[in-house]
Amino acid sequence: MEAAIVFLPLAGAILAGLFGRPLGAKGAQWLTSGLMVIAAVLSWIVLFDITSEGKSYTVTLFTWVASGSFAFDWALRMDSLTAVMLIVVTTVSAVVHIYSIGYMSHDPHQPRFFAYLSFFTFSMLMLVTADNLVQMFFGWEGVGVASYLLIGFWFQKPSANAAAIKAFLVNRVGDIGFALGIFAIYVMTDSVNLTVIFNTIPDLVGTKLVFMGVEFDAITVTALLLFLGAMGKSAQLGLHTWLPDAMEGPTPVSALIHAATMVTAGVFMVCRLSPLFEYSEFALAVVTIVGASTAFFAATVGLTQNDIKRVIAYSTCSQLGYMFFAAGVSAYPAAMFHLTTHAFFKALLFLGAGSVIHAMSDEQDMRRMGGLAKLIPVTYAFMWIGSLALMGIGIPGTPVGFAGFFSKDIVLEAAYAAETMVGGYAFWLGLIAAFMTAFYSGRLLFMTFHGTSRADEKTLAHVHESPRVMIWPLYILVLGSLFAGVAFYGGFVGDGMANFWGSSILILPENQALANATLVPIWVKAAPLAVGLSGLALSYWMYVKRPDAPAALVVRIRELYLFSLNKWYFDELFNFLFVRPSFAIGRFFWKRGDQKTIDGLGPDGVAQTTLRASKGVSLLQTGYVYHYAFAMLIGVVVFVTWYVATS
Amino acid sequence: MIVEALAFYLFAAVAVACGVMVITSKNPVHSVLFLILAFFNAAGLFVIQGAEFLAMILVIVYVGAVAVLFLFVVMMLDVNFAELREGFAKYLPIGAAIGIVLLAELVLIGAGWVFGPDVAGVAASPTPALSEATNTEAIGRILYTKYVYLFQGAGMVLLVAMVGAIVLTLRQRSGVKRQNIAAQVARDAKAEVTVVKVPTGSGV
Amino acid sequence: MTELPNFQPATPEIFLAAASMVLMMVGVFVKPKQAYRTVNTLAILSLLAAAVLVIMVGGSTEAGPQLAMFDLFIMDDFAVFVKILILIGSVAALIMSQGYVQREGMARFEFPILIVFATLGMLMMASANDLMALYIGVELQSLSLYVVASFQRDSLRSTESGLKYFVLGALSSGLLLYGASLVYGFSGATQFDLIVQSIASSEETPLGLIVGIVFIIAALAFKVSAAPFHMWTPDVYEGAPTPVTAFFSVAPKVAAMALLLRVMLDPFGELIIEWRQVIVLVSILSMLLGAFAAIAQTNIKRLMAYSSIGHIGYALMGLAAGGEIGLKGVLVYLAIYVVMNIGVFACILTMKVQDRMVEGIEDLAGLNSHAPITALVLLVLMFSMAGIPPTIGFFGKYYVFAAALDAELYALAIIGAVTSVVSAFYYLRIIKVMYFDEPKEAFDKRQPAGLRGVMVTSGFLSVALAPFLSVIVTPAGIAAASILAP
Repeated sequence: MEAAIVFLPLAGAILAGLFGRPLGAKGAQWLTSGLMVIAAVLSWIVLFDITSEGKSYTVTLFTWVASGSFAFDWALRMDSLTAVMLIVVTTVSAVVHIYSIGYMSHDPHQPRFFAYLSFFTFSMLMLVTADNLVQMFFGWEGVGVASYLLIGFWFQKPSANAAAIKAFLVNRVGDIGFALGIFAIYVMTDSVNLTVIFNTIPDLVGTKLVFMGVEFDAITVTALLLFLGAMGKSAQLGLHTWLPDAMEGPTPVSALIHAATMVTAGVFMVCRLSPLFEYSEFALAVVTIVGASTAFFAATVGLTQNDIKRVIAYSTCSQLGYMFFAAGVSAYPAAMFHLTTHAFFKALLFLGAGSVIHAMSDEQDMRRMGGLAKLIPVTYAFMWIGSLALMGIGIPGTPVGFAGFFSKDIVLEAAYAAETMVGGYAFWLGLIAAFMTAFYSGRLLFMTFHGTSRADEKTLAHVHESPRVMIWPLYILVLGSLFAGVAFYGGFVGDGMANFWGSSILILPENQALANATLVPIWVKAAPLAVGLSGLALSYWMYVKRPDAPAALVVRIRELYLFSLNKWYFDELFNFLFVRPSFAIGRFFWKRGDQKTIDGLGPDGVAQTTLRASKGVSLLQTGYVYHYAFAMLIGVVVFVTWYVATS
Repeated sequence: MIVEALAFYLFAAVAVACGVMVITSKNPVHSVLFLILAFFNAAGLFVIQGAEFLAMILVIVYVGAVAVLFLFVVMMLDVNFAELREGFAKYLPIGAAIGIVLLAELVLIGAGWVFGPDVAGVAASPTPALSEATNTEAIGRILYTKYVYLFQGAGMVLLVAMVGAIVLTLRQRSGVKRQNIAAQVARDAKAEVTVVKVPTGSGV
Repeated sequence: MTELPNFQPATPEIFLAAASMVLMMVGVFVKPKQAYRTVNTLAILSLLAAAVLVIMVGGSTEAGPQLAMFDLFIMDDFAVFVKILILIGSVAALIMSQGYVQREGMARFEFPILIVFATLGMLMMASANDLMALYIGVELQSLSLYVVASFQRDSLRSTESGLKYFVLGALSSGLLLYGASLVYGFSGATQFDLIVQSIASSEETPLGLIVGIVFIIAALAFKVSAAPFHMWTPDVYEGAPTPVTAFFSVAPKVAAMALLLRVMLDPFGELIIEWRQVIVLVSILSMLLGAFAAIAQTNIKRLMAYSSIGHIGYALMGLAAGGEIGLKGVLVYLAIYVVMNIGVFACILTMKVQDRMVEGIEDLAGLNSHAPITALVLLVLMFSMAGIPPTIGFFGKYYVFAAALDAELYALAIIGAVTSVVSAFYYLRIIKVMYFDEPKEAFDKRQPAGLRGVMVTSGFLSVALAPFLSVIVTPAGIAAASILAP
């Protein structure tokens, strides 16, 4: 059954990819979607089976590499962590598959699209089920490739190609870190198998790694290298630039890859490697700071973006920051909890946004929307549910609240309860970010659905509710956004926690942030809700009551506005620091190094010389016998002379 | 001994001079005639070495057959030798240079010729003393025994040469009337001649 | 006083000599119209019978080499291996030639007989144990070849090629004789074992002996068409009738190479330090010439001439390496070369448009569209020629390169690798022309069954033999060991 979950999507990908033409668009759609639904159902069964008693086992498929101590299998590591990721990935993927049937119905390359989607799902499942780091890396790169292919799916658009390349290259930076981390682990523990690594790590505390004459704590270095990989994949501050650009891909792709699953791989990896991170206080602090900073930074950028998908993309970036700082304060279950609920409501938001874009004839700029609430009421409702879940609205102390309410609260409480400097830093930045989250979510809703329409007549005339195949799957996500929080609270972070997670997550006794989370003062519990409501209220005031207020504000704080609108000038900075120098170096090597030197002396030069030599040699062949005879004699004389001269 | 040495140098010098003349004389007939003279001198050298059979064979085969054949060919073919010599001057310097280098080297090698005592031991087939066997007999003895393989092999080579010559030149034209002697001889008068009595005045 | 020489080891040669004369009688007495066909069939049968005899006689050489004809003739495992290769080449050439010979007005029964004579000469070369025996074998073979080269006597090109070959061949014979006489003069012997003794007994190798060896190398290099003694090859290959070219490119090459191997490694094996430089130089020149000159060719027969020059260069690499590994490498290379070359020429023989032979490379354009099987066979063979795995051509190169590296002839190996890349260009160009160019006039569909059979077999073996290469390598190893055994 475990193998079926992983390989059904692969089967779908292969069938749709290689036999797309005979299958046709319809065949490819229903085949891949059907297989995904089966996989999703199986995942839920596995989840209940495993988490009911925190089971953990390994399904070995076959040997991959056996070379001395470098030996590992293709194996599926099944524990609670994996099971949670399985349901997230397969459920969202199944929903996205079905949704895409409607969304992509006008595209000429549907089998290819569905093949990529299924391939992505397979890679993601490979990543989350990996029982060794190499297999995880395989899945890691697989999702990277799938992401590249899907961002650039509309290959006719130069911007899509550029975005795909950017995503791939930025991820490369992180992947180098990940790869180096794997090497370091192999050097330290002589294995890449997770179980072996986890058993060995406690003995290695205090080991030093000497690099360039400087001593480093081995575990810290390794953890930081691995975290670099996580930063790349999960678009954390510095390596986040690819994520907003990735919105060039089709919207279902954004929902699946760039909101719900792939970008959370970094969080998953940190949680999965909790037995490593736990032994490095410094690394955890770095994770916390990076996460909190990202949460804050992305929220500020989200305030001013006008592209509906970009707003959600920065929101994703910000929420990933929450997950990281949760993991950073050792509240891995909280991170996973937020990951799960976030997957549902963020996918809902994206797919809802997709419906809006679909309805608006591919218009993404919110400044040209407005007043859509009456025209597409179902989507409107979905977007509200998603946004409320994102804001974290609920009533503290009761089981009433949207999914995000429970998860975001526990994350912030854990940060507060960590009672460390970095914990405090994370809590306060997180709180401010929560305010901004509420504000930009409200802004998105009010700009898109309320007020008077700013779209042209022609577009408005076409606005229609999405077909049923795009609406129905969203109900699953709506259910998740509404009830995933309350339903999973007990198991994930509540009383059933120990039983639920079993041995899949390690939290050292001294890191008790999560255990203390319930003991925080009441104002800490209430604060997220308060800032959320106030943010929503502020956006209501600014975009509904006083639509002229934003413009007036912009004039007054122009510098700050531009700073946010231009995403803190990260792209410009990177452009200046990395892109242009590497272009210059690349051009130098290409024009001078490759074309002039290597091609000139190498292929081209050699080819020319060869041709000339060939012509020359042919000229020797005059056809006269006496020339031939003479050549022979010269040969003999030369050889004889050689010997006479040398003897 | 003196006479022998004098004769050797005479023959050798004339042979070399003839060789030079063969390739330098303008008239091809003269060339062939010089060639014949060279053969005679070579035969003379053989005689000095006591190989009178080889000397005779050389004269009979080379002079009597080969050289005369050459003469016929040269005289019958209308070859413009002046034309063939075109470019002679052009190639002369480099040709001469190569030739001189080779000559010098061969002289050098010849001058350094030593026959070690051990090497002489393995020298093949010493000529028997004249008292034991005549020159012809000695050759026959070795040719039909030890070297029978080479003898037969050479025979095959000659056979191939013959077959080749025929293949490349013989043409069988259809419609050519040839004299068939056997048929002529075998003809019977009775079968071929009928005697007819012709009545007078009526004609045949 | 007179004893009967030991004939038994020479049975195949004696049989073939007798058979050739019987064939001449048959040719004369059979009706003229059937003469060629009958004699050709009988010639093929006699060659096959000779092959059987070779195996029967050679099968008993476990006790070491058998000497015959007062030690002028030797029969060892090396001779057996080479003779079988030669006979395969000759038989294939006779089978392939049938259709062509009948069409092009060459259908005279002397043709197969001359091939048999040439084969006889080659067998004698393979078994030569004496400089004189060597010379007789070479002459018998060469003379037959001169004649068959100009066999199409009404064709100016054929006659010209025969004449060129003859004149230059005579020059090389002169070199051979001169070298042999120098060797005789400085070692006092013509028989190989005695030469070995002589060399071993003298403290210092006389310069004259080495110069004699150089002359012999030059003459034999002419026979294998190695640079700079190759000049006749392109002209003769192009001018001679195609089946004759096919024959030239296979059997005589093997025989001359075998002779070169035996002479260099048996009597002069002690002097490898001395003659290695010449062989290395000849090998390099051949490889370079084979690679570079072929690129400019438009006639496929001329191209194959340069290709064979290049291949001989690779084979010589093994000889330069010397020793058992090198010798084995050369033998494996030769065997593989025979298989490939027969196939390529079989393909060339199918190049016939409206009963007219064509030889241009551009005539192959679009061959795949109207003769897919021929195109496929030629594709495989060209890959093999270029030495691309998994074809056998790769393994041939592998063995000689391994030998060269083993002998630490790194420069030679590097040049070999470079030239094999260059030569891949023109092999692959043929493939490109066949598969990607606009189709030209289709070749005639009807091909003699024998020709097709040879073509397909060769193409098949070029791939299928690769996993079973031990079929060639093991006997080659035994053969190599036999010649180097004291």
